[in-house]
Amino acid sequence: MRTEVRNEVSPVPTQVRNEVRNQGRAVGPPAPSAVMVAGLRKSYGAVQAVRDVSFTVEDGEIFALLGPNGAGKTTTLEILEGFRTRDAGRVEVLGADPGDRAAGRALREQIGLVLQDIAVEPYLTVRETLARNAGYYPAPRDVDEVIGLVGLTEHERRKVRALSGGQQRRLDLALGLIGDPRLLFLDEPTTGFDPNARRDAWQIVRNLRDAGTTIVLTTHYMDEAQALADRVAVMSGGRIVAEGPPSTIGGRDAARARIRFVLPDGYTAADLPLPAQAGHGLVTVETTEPTEALHQLTGWALRRGTVLDRLTVDRATLEDVYLRLTSGSGPDVPEPLTKGSTR
Amino acid sequence: MSTAAYRAHRARRNDLALLWHQVRYEQLSFWRNPQNAIFTFAFPVVFIVILGALFHGGTGSSYFYGLSTMQYYVPTIAALSVLGSCYGQLAVMLAARRQNGILKRVRATPLPAWTYFLGLLAHCVMVSAVDVALIVGIGRLYGVPLPANWPAVAMALVLGAACFCALGVAVASLIRNSEAAPAVVQLILFPLVFISGTYLPIHSATLNQIAGFLPVRPFNEVLIGSFAQHSGLAWRNLGVLLAWGAIGAFVAIRRFRWDPRPE
Repeated sequence: MRTEVRNEVSPVPTQVRNEVRNQGRAVGPPAPSAVMVAGLRKSYGAVQAVRDVSFTVEDGEIFALLGPNGAGKTTTLEILEGFRTRDAGRVEVLGADPGDRAAGRALREQIGLVLQDIAVEPYLTVRETLARNAGYYPAPRDVDEVIGLVGLTEHERRKVRALSGGQQRRLDLALGLIGDPRLLFLDEPTTGFDPNARRDAWQIVRNLRDAGTTIVLTTHYMDEAQALADRVAVMSGGRIVAEGPPSTIGGRDAARARIRFVLPDGYTAADLPLPAQAGHGLVTVETTEPTEALHQLTGWALRRGTVLDRLTVDRATLEDVYLRLTSGSGPDVPEPLTKGSTR
Repeated sequence: MSTAAYRAHRARRNDLALLWHQVRYEQLSFWRNPQNAIFTFAFPVVFIVILGALFHGGTGSSYFYGLSTMQYYVPTIAALSVLGSCYGQLAVMLAARRQNGILKRVRATPLPAWTYFLGLLAHCVMVSAVDVALIVGIGRLYGVPLPANWPAVAMALVLGAACFCALGVAVASLIRNSEAAPAVVQLILFPLVFISGTYLPIHSATLNQIAGFLPVRPFNEVLIGSFAQHSGLAWRNLGVLLAWGAIGAFVAIRRFRWDPRPE
């Protein structure tokens, strides 16, 4: 193990930390991205769980794989974690191939995993469990510090089986952090949390990112991806159907406005000056030019001496965009708004 | 800052220190579950106490190869306790740990697989040694002399434990779900123990010939020999035992799964 330290001192502590770690135990040549996936495919029998997925995760960002159950998120993550083999495609994690067992130990010293199901040995205490795992890493974090970080200080002497489900989940997170990973994988980290616990977990994840840890997480909560991620890839049916910062996900869809009102008596939707969709007693007009559309509609009503009752204008929420993206069959099928509205 | 740099440059602890760390925590998990610990040791004790109460005293008989009844049962029940703790409990425990995801968590850490398994082997040897000491101690109360050849007993125990651990891991590799594990383990163990003369001496030459190629009878004979007959190690029997250990290790290495949901 090299012990020389380069003299490039960066003013940003996290960069120095990463730099030092890269020198200390790099798995391969320095990688430009923390994670690189290209053309990944995986089938279970006849079921294609992952179909041609590609993405990269840059050093120091929070990247979320968002999608409903069965979209292929966990399969993708488990391939990155080295638990599953792939059928095709290239995968690099911190510059190494996670499918290569020879690189396994060095890679695992630098990554932290929080898996989907809770599984911890029931008879050790919180502190003992963490002290045991700390011993597996060459440069672990301080046990007390990590216990404090996940808010289990007052429970540190309790046996794991006496903890509540949420507390066990926090212990699981602590086990993911104890090795002081450069890269942390979180598989649905807040499923089953109450709203307060979720917010606490989010803050922990943000703090980790701010301290220089790269984080890849899966979630089926739109708000979680929105609150945490620097970039989101929306998965559906084994494919990535949208990718980008949460604010741009959905692209034009998110930019569309919805104008809704009660159709005046004696008229049908076909009488309106713009294409509209009827349903639930209201008609909906979707448009990218709400000012213009509103002017046409209200003008139409005024000329006929009637009113547009319960008139509202709003934008599709990210939740709507997400539901639209993941309910269709994939990116190659254009989604007309008039048919795609699922609510 | 300097602490971060220092920590990042700290080398891996050496393999033996890591192994010792693992052995300690494996022991801690075991002793923290007192019920499990008590039952692990209670079974052979109860067994030998009952046998002692039934067959207490008496002199050598040809049925027991010239040994007294208890002189015969102390080594065979000692062998049985090693089988139980190494082969039986290990297979059941690994199947359970796999099913509830604990093995997958172990795989998620940098702990090398061989360190994990050596930690388990050390545990099994410890349990076996305590079991054998208890059985010998109770045998003493029934007038059975202490083992004649201690080094041979110790060596037979360690080798036997290693072989039956390997077989336990092999069986755990072949079992898919943990509910079935105890049944599968018993289904294999019970007939094998029976034809190998653990409960009753077998005087059928054919059966003995067959059992001689299976792992339990050679282990029984090695222990009977080193306990009661002042003989050294029976190399042929040890050879058969080691061959089974190697088969078990081969299957284990090829087929062991850490993930509860195989691909």
